[in-house]
Amino acid sequence: MGKRISNYLNRKKSHAATLAFFRIAFGSLMFFSVIRFWSKGWIESLYIKPNFHFKYFGFEWVEDFGSYTYILFILCLISSLFVTIGFKYRISIISFFILFTYVELIDKTTYLNHYYLTSCISFIMCFLPAGGFFSVDNLIRGSKIEEVPSWAVDSLKFFICIVYFYAGIAKINSDWLLDAQPLSIWLKSKYDLPIIGQTLLQQKSIHYLASWFGMIYDVCIPFLLLYSRTKYIAFFFVIIFHVLTKVFFPAIGMFPYIMIFGTVIFFDSKIHIIILNRIERIVKKLSVLLNIKSIELVKKNYLNSIHYPRFAPLFLSIFLLIQVIIPFRYALYPGELFWNEQGYRFSWRVMLIEKRGDTRFKVKDSISGKFFYVRNENFLTPFQIKQMSFQPDFILEYAHYLGEHFEEKGLKNIQVFTDSFVALNGRSSQRFINPNVDLLTKKESFLNKDWILPLNDEINGL
Amino acid sequence: MKKYSLITPILAIFLAIQCSSEMEEDIQQVDNTTPATSTDSDTDNSSSDNSQTDDTVSYNHKNMLINWVDNIILPSLDNFNSSLTVLKESTETFVNAPTSETFSKVKEDWLASFLKWQYVEMFDIGLAEEIYYKNRVNLYPANVNKIESNISDQNYDLDESVNFSSQGFNSIDYLLFGIGENEEEIILKYSNENLNYGKYLTDVVEKMISLTSDVRSSWNTEFRESFINSTDNTATSSINKLVNDFIFYFEKGYRANKIGIPAGVFSDNPLPDRVEAYYGKNYSKILALEATEAIDNFFNGRSINNLENTDLSIRDYLDYMEAEKEEKLSEKINNQLIKIKDKLSELNTNFSQQITDENLQMLITYDVIQANVVFLKVDMLQSLNISVDYADADGD
Repeated sequence: MGKRISNYLNRKKSHAATLAFFRIAFGSLMFFSVIRFWSKGWIESLYIKPNFHFKYFGFEWVEDFGSYTYILFILCLISSLFVTIGFKYRISIISFFILFTYVELIDKTTYLNHYYLTSCISFIMCFLPAGGFFSVDNLIRGSKIEEVPSWAVDSLKFFICIVYFYAGIAKINSDWLLDAQPLSIWLKSKYDLPIIGQTLLQQKSIHYLASWFGMIYDVCIPFLLLYSRTKYIAFFFVIIFHVLTKVFFPAIGMFPYIMIFGTVIFFDSKIHIIILNRIERIVKKLSVLLNIKSIELVKKNYLNSIHYPRFAPLFLSIFLLIQVIIPFRYALYPGELFWNEQGYRFSWRVMLIEKRGDTRFKVKDSISGKFFYVRNENFLTPFQIKQMSFQPDFILEYAHYLGEHFEEKGLKNIQVFTDSFVALNGRSSQRFINPNVDLLTKKESFLNKDWILPLNDEINGL
Repeated sequence: MKKYSLITPILAIFLAIQCSSEMEEDIQQVDNTTPATSTDSDTDNSSSDNSQTDDTVSYNHKNMLINWVDNIILPSLDNFNSSLTVLKESTETFVNAPTSETFSKVKEDWLASFLKWQYVEMFDIGLAEEIYYKNRVNLYPANVNKIESNISDQNYDLDESVNFSSQGFNSIDYLLFGIGENEEEIILKYSNENLNYGKYLTDVVEKMISLTSDVRSSWNTEFRESFINSTDNTATSSINKLVNDFIFYFEKGYRANKIGIPAGVFSDNPLPDRVEAYYGKNYSKILALEATEAIDNFFNGRSINNLENTDLSIRDYLDYMEAEKEEKLSEKINNQLIKIKDKLSELNTNFSQQITDENLQMLITYDVIQANVVFLKVDMLQSLNISVDYADADGD
């Protein structure tokens, strides 16, 4: 067993074109993602405009840079460009990972599974020798790496499998499979799509079909991609699935593209070589057009020693093991996961719940009994209000912020209560937070939040 | 080869979708025409189920928009406009000959017009939104100092935003009820032309008329067409915007402005001088009740000039989207509206007095209204899958 592992780690090789392809695909997607994010004005509206940012537990120290946040994005953009062309690869990917993750940590309001996915992939890539082939680094060093250890490629494959598989088993629940929720709500309101909008999407049977197809797809696709005889038909489904999600849910952003390009890594390395050759031809044509000396991208010198941190395999194994365990942490908490969201994030629960809330805060003087309600729009952006209203950790953090704010304003004996109602997956709204609990007496922690009122219903499933 | 393998599956999906739904498309086209003609004929199609009984047919969003515009929004604006014209006439008569008689006619017409306004305020869309129509017609409390300085300086431009709180109904409220201790004193101020109260009153009324005529003509020229054709479910489409406007009005213009703020819900102490039509004293309740009727009518899709005549509106849309649900949200909302009306009816005709006497009743009323905010903002927006205004970001 031990010998097999050491053989696998030290001897088994894959062609370096696979990693190079992945580096280029990922880097360029990130490049466009950052530009897209910028062009939509989200740097301003999500990171600069808010007076207050919701922090991840343990990351309260992360500061925003105000209008200097743009510098973070510029550096992020440069890093992603360098990753793409393979210039100073190791430094570029590490700086991309740090910058991107830092931006995400500024405000958890913007949490999205695919931002977390991006952080995870870039983290893994920090340990991979992905810059040794088809890169500017080759040109500089005058050498290239033709072969990379297989664990490097496999760790990325395994991670993508985790993402799909966990997204799949998360769908094995009674809301998704037995009530076709929340897809029923979402698809029915897509009446404006041409042809199918007014017809198929209005049918409950289609909602069930879509739910079941989505679940089966997510659970099976990793295996189909891994098995050499089915991987191409699997890719066909990958495209269908992600194109459909993009059509139905345009707000899903870059996620479909990341997954479509990501799964190409499962292909035979011959295909990656073909793709790289195409890119090379385009680059050459461009350099001729631009009158630059013909660039020899693939040098003939081979380099035998592969540069990667020695501890990388062990480190990645631990990381992937954590990825396998973390989605199950919800089992440590009582109550409905979709309702109290304790252990919901970082678990590949994608598009699983339709949740809306209205949460108002009552600031009370415990001695005089006088109280008033806070106008959330005085403190939060509309997007923050929306996200805060149905997530308990946001509600708690905001309550403390309000407490501090009014204490600074000279109020005494402050208590903060909520009047909070939430609706989940088409159920009628019900009270969400115990209105009699002064949230200032509660602290954020990994312990169960007993001030969340239980859901008047049961959701069965994994 | 690689290129084609990427394109073919995408083509295949669209081909498959196209073929499988061609038949349904035909059905849909046929059905589209039937409800459309029924609204055009403008007869008593008192039932609201004309386009949703058939399982294969989706809800007819365009007919809902047409009903909103043609039977609710435009008639409300027309009614409001007519009432303003009457107010203008009586104002002129009064200013030319300030007597107790002409004065009470102005007050009467001011109230009549103010009541009609309650049907207009929630439609803060298009030009109305651009020119801050609702702020210029019904911002309160009125800025009394600004009004007085405008009158004494005779140097003001009502189009400037600093003057938004020194025009509109609440400024007229002050001009009719607040500039003197009693009626005689007030009439006396108007009798002295050098004091310029009459001129200011006329200017304010005329400004409301010109704003209203701008809003009406924008609806009647191009806006109606673009409004009824924007049937998509996007952040900028008509349904989303108007539903958002409706909820925003319910929460702010109605719940907060009329009840919450004066009752001190958002402040340390009650603010009884923040009620609508504060100086007139006895109008805050009747205005709030009228606004409730307007909300009720819009939600249920009643034609403004013939309440028996209902057509597609939010209620029907909800019933369509929640067809499988046993507990009808539309019923909950309507029941809550009844409770609100009951609660409002129990209050003093003068909210300001009610707040001073027994504010608890105001706070209870506020809670009854707030319960409907939850139904509208949480349950309804979830069922209709309409996103809250201007909260733009990716989601997953």
